[in-house]
Amino acid sequence: MSPLRRFLRTPEAVAGAILLAVLIAMALSAPLLFPGDPQAIAGPALLSPFQDWSLPLGTDRLGRNVLAELFHGARTSLAVGLAAAAAALVVGAVVGTLAGFAGGLVDEVLMRITDAFQTVPSFLLALAFVSVVGSSLGIVAIAIALGTWTGPARVARAEVLSIRERDYVAGARVIGMHPLVIAFREVLPNALPPVLAMSSVIVAAAILTEAALSFLGLGDPNRVTWGGMIAEGRAVLRTAPFLSIVPGIALVLTVLGVYLAGEGIVETTAVRRGLS
Amino acid sequence: MSLLTVSNLTKRYHRGDKTIAAVDDVSFHIDSGETLALAGPSGSGKSTIARLVLRLIEPDDGRIDFEGDDFLALNGAALRVRRARLQMVFQDPLAAFNPRATVARVLDDPLRIHGIASRSERPRRIAALLERVGLTADLAPRAIHEISGGQRQRVAIARAVATKPSLIVLDEAVSALDVSVRGQILDLLLDLQRQERIAYLFISHDLGVIRAIAHRVVLLDAGRIAESGDACAVIDAPQSAIGKALVAAAPRLNRTKQDAS
Repeated sequence: MSPLRRFLRTPEAVAGAILLAVLIAMALSAPLLFPGDPQAIAGPALLSPFQDWSLPLGTDRLGRNVLAELFHGARTSLAVGLAAAAAALVVGAVVGTLAGFAGGLVDEVLMRITDAFQTVPSFLLALAFVSVVGSSLGIVAIAIALGTWTGPARVARAEVLSIRERDYVAGARVIGMHPLVIAFREVLPNALPPVLAMSSVIVAAAILTEAALSFLGLGDPNRVTWGGMIAEGRAVLRTAPFLSIVPGIALVLTVLGVYLAGEGIVETTAVRRGLS
Repeated sequence: MSLLTVSNLTKRYHRGDKTIAAVDDVSFHIDSGETLALAGPSGSGKSTIARLVLRLIEPDDGRIDFEGDDFLALNGAALRVRRARLQMVFQDPLAAFNPRATVARVLDDPLRIHGIASRSERPRRIAALLERVGLTADLAPRAIHEISGGQRQRVAIARAVATKPSLIVLDEAVSALDVSVRGQILDLLLDLQRQERIAYLFISHDLGVIRAIAHRVVLLDAGRIAESGDACAVIDAPQSAIGKALVAAAPRLNRTKQDAS
């Protein structure tokens, strides 16, 4: 059975994939369906959902179109989530490989740095970084990656420690390959599968962290974010709870979708690796 | 002047507060074009000596002279350049290659690293190497895990001879192969030795194979040399206790003796 078919036979993986597909479709179609500034005033303030079909999800305190904000927010969530996770995985894999392969002093130094990052709560780290450096989309992604690269680094190091004792690494040394080339061309690619298996959790966590930063008002002020929408709606939580509930549901479904689809991919590839 | 001279080589491992000498004051030499076999029971230090000679691990004591130079004094880039002259073939040909590699990539690496052939020339060199070890050039694009064990060991030998070495360390290189393939690989090794005067450090626990390929043999026991000398003489009339035990434990030896005479 092909991995794709095995993936499609897992109901939770399919559900995750559908949620993820909807999210991506929202992110991609946002500038087409809702051209112009999503933060522009579109109608009367605090319009409830399903009252006016040109504004299906109503408007917020300033009369902004909630649906448009939701679509544009999907772009931010996805962009920050993917960028932060990619940065965390790349940095983690490189640091872990260097530490595990070099051993000795290099390993000690790199792992103590990893420890130092790991002891600080990652959200606090992101918070501190954003409040010092400022908050553009890229900075937010870096801030989130700062607190999440330690996990991939540890997993990569553990994997490299076992791989570097294999014969083919000795064989690469015997033919005179440079140690850095051995580390990154022979060892790293074979250490990646368990590291990549962490990506779904990391992307999901990154999306949540971005939302939390925006909720605290530390997100990119020029972009609509779901966290910012929830914070905005909090002021009128009693009279217009939908302003917080709508982006809240979007956030829950997104994280769920990313996690389920990611786990589905890991499961199907893990079975294939186990069989071979 | 011998090609390789190993003097008083010692490697100790510390386990808790106990010190175990895996290799204890071992000396031997190999001349060019000669095959020296290292034999002994498991844990006698055969593979440790192989790894020491190849500088995959560092000795605690002793000296290794290779092609007239102090091999232990070489480091970094100088060591990597000299590695072209001293190659290795591993026991398990599947473990000896990156699981993602193809046959062509495995053979391309030594040619590229040592600047033996230009990029455009390398495919032809790879094809020639494959033919040299009795394979066909159309195997080049195949993945390592797609070819048979015997073919894999031939590729390993092709990789070892790609840099035109003067010495190849064969660590149980035929032990994992089935008997019919084993004979063909031994023939290939003898043929390469005759034509290119490559010396072999042949590590094996199989005295029958050693008798067929080695000129001289060194018998090891617990990291020390128990006995050494002409391969046939030692195997036919071992003097040491470990030599007698090894010969007694080799069931196929009588038949090999008849074949040889």
